[in-house]
Amino acid sequence: MKKFLIYALAIVLVFSFAVSCKKKPKEVPPPPPQAQEQPKVEKVEQPVVKEPVLSEEDIYLQKSLEQINKEKPLANIYFDYDKALIRDDARPVLEANSGWLAKFKTIKILIAGNCDERGTEEYNMALGEKRAKAAMDYLATLGVSAGRMKIISYGKSQPVDPGHNEAAWQKNRRDEFLVIEK
Amino acid sequence: MTQRKTIPGLILAILAAAGVLRAQQEVLLKISEGVPMVAVALPPFIVRTASPEAQAAALEIQQVLADDVKASRVFQPLPKEYYGYIRPLNPDKIFFKDWDSIQAKLLVTGELSADDSGRTVFSGKLYDVKSERFIVGKRYQTEKSGLRLIAHKMADELMKLYGEKPVFATRIVFVSNRDGNDEIYMMDYDGANQTRITFNKVKDYMPAWSPDQRTIAYTSYKRGNADLYLRNIYEGKETLIASKGTSYAAAFSPDGKKLAFCSTMSEEGNAEIYVLDLETMKTKRLTYSGGIDTAPSWSPTGREIAFTSDRTGQGAPQVYIMDAEGSNVRKVSFGGSYFDSPAWSPTGDRIAYVARVENIFDLYILNLRTNQATKLTESNARNETPSWSPDGRHIVFTSNMSGSLQVYMIDYDGANLHRLTDRGENKLANWTN
Repeated sequence: MKKFLIYALAIVLVFSFAVSCKKKPKEVPPPPPQAQEQPKVEKVEQPVVKEPVLSEEDIYLQKSLEQINKEKPLANIYFDYDKALIRDDARPVLEANSGWLAKFKTIKILIAGNCDERGTEEYNMALGEKRAKAAMDYLATLGVSAGRMKIISYGKSQPVDPGHNEAAWQKNRRDEFLVIEK
Repeated sequence: MTQRKTIPGLILAILAAAGVLRAQQEVLLKISEGVPMVAVALPPFIVRTASPEAQAAALEIQQVLADDVKASRVFQPLPKEYYGYIRPLNPDKIFFKDWDSIQAKLLVTGELSADDSGRTVFSGKLYDVKSERFIVGKRYQTEKSGLRLIAHKMADELMKLYGEKPVFATRIVFVSNRDGNDEIYMMDYDGANQTRITFNKVKDYMPAWSPDQRTIAYTSYKRGNADLYLRNIYEGKETLIASKGTSYAAAFSPDGKKLAFCSTMSEEGNAEIYVLDLETMKTKRLTYSGGIDTAPSWSPTGREIAFTSDRTGQGAPQVYIMDAEGSNVRKVSFGGSYFDSPAWSPTGDRIAYVARVENIFDLYILNLRTNQATKLTESNARNETPSWSPDGRHIVFTSNMSGSLQVYMIDYDGANLHRLTDRGENKLANWTN
């Protein structure tokens, strides 16, 4: 009987030990706090493409040729009656135009020479072209390369002012500068 | 004996002279001033079909023919009331004495019928009244659109009979902006049948007829440059012939084998005159001045070219003549500071041009024999770009005398000024050369 009790006690002990082992956590010293243990806050965001900072030139070249020409970046120059000589008042204009062309180096232009109605058709075609060429030559001396410039003459067929007085004629005796390539 | 020798000699001389003339192919017309015009009787045409359309067609042909005769300056229609003084025309038996009695020199009869497919058939006959002789007969078949042309062709038969070049069936080419932008159109000599030729939707400029009036040379900006093209208007065939620099003011030689034009195609980019050989397609430069050389116009022999140059002063163009090879340049305009647009008359002895005096542009005719210039137009306006009719009796030109630019016609002596166009602005009319 004593033996049975011992056995029974042993079994109970073993059992209870086993049970206690399962239930009771081991006496392990708590791990030292570590930084890695702290869950890092991960930012989850869609990447946003940042717009590049555009240069003035880049902005300009985004416009269509039509838009560019509408803004008339290059001013007209005007001529004396029957003449194709660059007047003194045209020089600063051409200098400004060459400065603009120096800024936008890829741009190519068309210089269109025009005349007033007081010349004949054939002679005015030639005179208009001489006016365009005079501006081209002047711009070339200011450093604009010849490959960037084209000339054309419209004679007297494209007046800007249909009037028949000196004010209208002066407006019509002109070179226009058009951007044709960027 | 001496007489016997002389006559064959004379005949030989005449034959030789004729041979020389033939070899040179000179067709020099002569305008005799002060010669009375030939009276043409144009009694009502006979209509063989009952349809009202045929009646209307007969009236139209008759009217157009009468207008051509009146415009010719060679013939004049007999006043209609004269026909009432004599027996009505019997085409089967013409009483020439009747026609002679009312001073008719030529009698034109016409008959209108319809063929099986309903087309109009017109048969016209020309008689010489004095000699009571049938001279020439013509039969034309047409749809409605061809009625005016029949009349013009009949009128040209009269012209040929008198050794004149056909005029009335020829056409005038010009520039108009009536459809929005400058395009090229053509019309009959009387302004009828105005028809568009180019559809480039840009600026087309300065058209010039070939002598056979099947091809035009013209400048177009369609490639973004003022280039020169040849276009056969009936085949629609187009050839780019000058694309370097600016090329314009083209003029066909009278034999149609060459084309003179102005271009800045050279290295220095100056306006010079070139000639393109249309057979070899080779271009030859004719002028080398530092000034502007432009507006070439051939003499009817094709041996000389009149042109404009400001070689003696920019802004003061003058008219010059040179040999067709470019040599022997001499100035022919005088007494003014601004001349342009020379047009050499098919008669050879005159050059029409524009002179600017005090901002007024008028046409003048320079007589090359007497070296005298006569003012042709007299209006406080701009009269420009003259071009002669094939017989040298009429000139078409552009004027703003009515306000807008329009094409007008005037006779060589300043008579019969009238307007040919009215839709939009019309300019740069070319008839010959």
